[in-house]
Amino acid sequence: MSQSLRPYLQAVRASLTAALALSNFASQTSERHNVPEIEAASSPEVLLNPLTVARNDNEKVLVEPSINSVRISIKIKQADEIEHILVHKFTRFLTQRAEAFFILRRKPIKGYDISFLITNYHTEEMLKHKLVDFIIEFMEEVDKEVSEMKLFLNARARFVAESFLTPFD
Amino acid sequence: MAPQTPAVVMDNGTGYSKLGFAGNDSPSFVFPTAIATKGAATGGSGGSGSGRPAVANKPSYLTGGAGPGGHLSMKRGTEDLDFFIGDEALAAAAGPGYGIHYPIRHGQIENWDHMERFWSNSIFKYLRVEPEDHHFLLTEPTQPLNPPENRENTAEIFFESFNCAGLYIAVQAVLALAASWTSSKVQDRSLTGTVIDSGEGVTHVIPVAEGYVIGSSIKSIPIAGRDITYFVQSLLRDRGEPDSSLKTAERIKEEFCYVSPDIVKEFSRFDREPDRFAKYPVKYPNGKSVTVDVGYERFLAPEIFFNPEIYSSDFLTPLPTIVDTVIQTSPIDVRRGLYKNIVLSGGSTLYKDFGRRLQRDIRHLVDARIKASEVRSGGAKSGGLDVQVITHKRQRHGPWFGGSLLGQTPEFRSYCHTKAEYDEVGPSIVRRFALLGGPGST
Amino acid sequence: MLLLDYQNVLIESLLKDRFTPGAAPVSIDQVVSDFDGVTFHISTQEGKTKILVSIAVKCFPELVKYGAQSVLEREYGPYIVAPEQGYDFSLQIDLDNLPDEQARDDLIRRISLLKRNAMAAPFESAFDEFEALREEASKYTSESAPQGIREGGEVRAIHYREEEAIYIKASHDRVTVIFSTIFRDETDRVFGKVFLQEFVDARRRAIQNAPQVLFKNEAPLELQGIPGVKSGKADIGYITFVLFPRHLQRQRREDVISHIQTFRDYFHYHIKASKAYIHSRMRRRTADFLQVLRRARPESEEKAERKTASGRTFKVQA
Repeated sequence: MSQSLRPYLQAVRASLTAALALSNFASQTSERHNVPEIEAASSPEVLLNPLTVARNDNEKVLVEPSINSVRISIKIKQADEIEHILVHKFTRFLTQRAEAFFILRRKPIKGYDISFLITNYHTEEMLKHKLVDFIIEFMEEVDKEVSEMKLFLNARARFVAESFLTPFD
Repeated sequence: MAPQTPAVVMDNGTGYSKLGFAGNDSPSFVFPTAIATKGAATGGSGGSGSGRPAVANKPSYLTGGAGPGGHLSMKRGTEDLDFFIGDEALAAAAGPGYGIHYPIRHGQIENWDHMERFWSNSIFKYLRVEPEDHHFLLTEPTQPLNPPENRENTAEIFFESFNCAGLYIAVQAVLALAASWTSSKVQDRSLTGTVIDSGEGVTHVIPVAEGYVIGSSIKSIPIAGRDITYFVQSLLRDRGEPDSSLKTAERIKEEFCYVSPDIVKEFSRFDREPDRFAKYPVKYPNGKSVTVDVGYERFLAPEIFFNPEIYSSDFLTPLPTIVDTVIQTSPIDVRRGLYKNIVLSGGSTLYKDFGRRLQRDIRHLVDARIKASEVRSGGAKSGGLDVQVITHKRQRHGPWFGGSLLGQTPEFRSYCHTKAEYDEVGPSIVRRFALLGGPGST
Repeated sequence: MLLLDYQNVLIESLLKDRFTPGAAPVSIDQVVSDFDGVTFHISTQEGKTKILVSIAVKCFPELVKYGAQSVLEREYGPYIVAPEQGYDFSLQIDLDNLPDEQARDDLIRRISLLKRNAMAAPFESAFDEFEALREEASKYTSESAPQGIREGGEVRAIHYREEEAIYIKASHDRVTVIFSTIFRDETDRVFGKVFLQEFVDARRRAIQNAPQVLFKNEAPLELQGIPGVKSGKADIGYITFVLFPRHLQRQRREDVISHIQTFRDYFHYHIKASKAYIHSRMRRRTADFLQVLRRARPESEEKAERKTASGRTFKVQA
């Protein structure tokens, strides 16, 4: 793990743990509705200050807390064209299966690659610290997966090229 | 060169995959939906039913040390290219090193990793097409249980991995109906009818109204080709024939069996006409050969559809009764159409006179009911009900042929979803397809 | 599958089937595709024992210009018949009049290579031209050689696909084969670039005797002034294979031609195969993520299942 990754993840973990203090809160604008306030954004007084944890320009996390929901958006490291494509492919693959992930938002917030939405219902049903664990593990693994896929692609390309050219030898 | 490349039609079934090009009257390739990969087979039924890939097909470096560099030579893994499909898979699995997998179970795709590679090989090795140049027509099982997510996963593979030009996913039963249009008995090309689809493992009776499957009325029967083979085998064994292997039983089933109008009469007919008994020579690879007598199983074997009690003790409803029940449980306004157009599909419906017997038996049931209600109503006369079972030449690969028929129509392409549309909307686009060959099209 | 087959599997298996002694005659009527917009029509029109195999190639007129007719005549001589309506070239095999066992397999092989042979003509003529030029050039030193020999022969262009073409040019010391390629999909373009870079590097790193490979977005010098050559766009690329005399030896010719023809489809096949592999990685990873997320659920649910005395399980209604 590189120098700055550990504090980066730690900062995200701390901010998330703090932000995940959610309670059931009915909508103030429409009767008998109970919606994630961070998405509805209809009552400014229940929204808290959003917070960005950034490791550098290309890697950052936006945490937007509110009284009954938190939105977490992640910008995944993309060093070049290939990583960009791979990240795009992977996040699309995941959001396609958002149903199974409960907390995955089907569309990322603008400027980020993937977003999660955790509501008070999620924290009631699931263990809060485990949810935080999930987000942190996700961040770790995604980077790892993308770089592994890139390595794979290079290795495969080399193998394919050599296999094609060998019969000429 | 033809102005348009022909559409590729693929019908991937539990047992066999049928691949070919639209416009042909038979598929170019028919081989088992099997894939042989390095390592052990996934055993038993279901294997990795949870949708989680089996550990065996996970390349070792997927979990292994992700340390930077160093592992580069190991990371050149090309295990994912080392596999065979179809008959070659069966051959490879017979030798050491390869395990066989069946990615489709009960008509549904269970292992997407294997299926994706199966498709890749089908396209590039067998069909030899560049998917970017062709439209694809795929089939999906008729069970109402096939979730729309499966369609989306299929679309994800075809558009993202293969960049296919266009995709249409059709329901097998509807294609089987379309295949019957070649029969001279069919006057109007309607997509209303009852499909009796009997393959190797299971027989389905599926009512279709104007191109849409009536899911709540579908019935399945646990009697199909495999059971007939077993039944033939048991009869051979009982008589103590010199060869009663499954293969022999299967050959006898395919070559000699037919459906009789009445088994009691057929028995006495056999006694009167001894030339009805046939002989089947079995040749062994070592040059020896024996002769197997073929007797009553010629008409008894397919009879298990009509009198299941002679074969099974836990399933006792005859096929004609099931068909009648299926139609009776369908909405009342389509029942007439369902009786009028009962279409056969699949290898186990090919016995001579199968359709004729079925039609007679169903008509008996219907006539008896009409008579009873006439009596009850006290004198009212019924106009009668037309029962017609359609037998046609393309029954064996019914769904594939239906696909071929629809895939060659000029409007087919406009019914497909294209790559551009997929990129715009995403996989959910394939949840809806306009009905091909339905009302409004030519 | 690593390398693509040179032959058409369908034709091969179909003929093998029909050629087996004692096979019952059946009528065949199949229109099938092959790579690069090639269409075959295999049919039995004049009775079940006469199989007609026809091929339609998009660029057939170009191929004829470079001597396809003579190549095909050499390969199929007595089997050639007048081309079927709508097709460019036809063969007819009479099942009642087959050659003996040995030649039969060879015939199957040759017919299944019909596409390869049709496309081989420009390569063969370029290779011949190379030999002529080399002969010529050996008479001069490099400075004194006349203009024509130094520059090499004309460029043979084969527009084998809608937007892609192969260009072949012979010189006195090499034959240059240039594929123009186009990517319609962004992912493919990026993946393709990675792959092509490795083709370029492979020679330097591992296989010294392989043809030199170059890759550019601009049209290479050889193609200057050829009509229809576009350049400078990101989605168009030119891959140049430089075949050296060692690749052009007579005894290796056949394999080299077969092999280089499959380049475009091989290349695209592997882009697709690696996307398929990445898909299975993503499936795997997604399952892992779900596992982690599942851990966040308290495990109380499973206790709801209880057993009866006989060992059957049932669920307690909440």
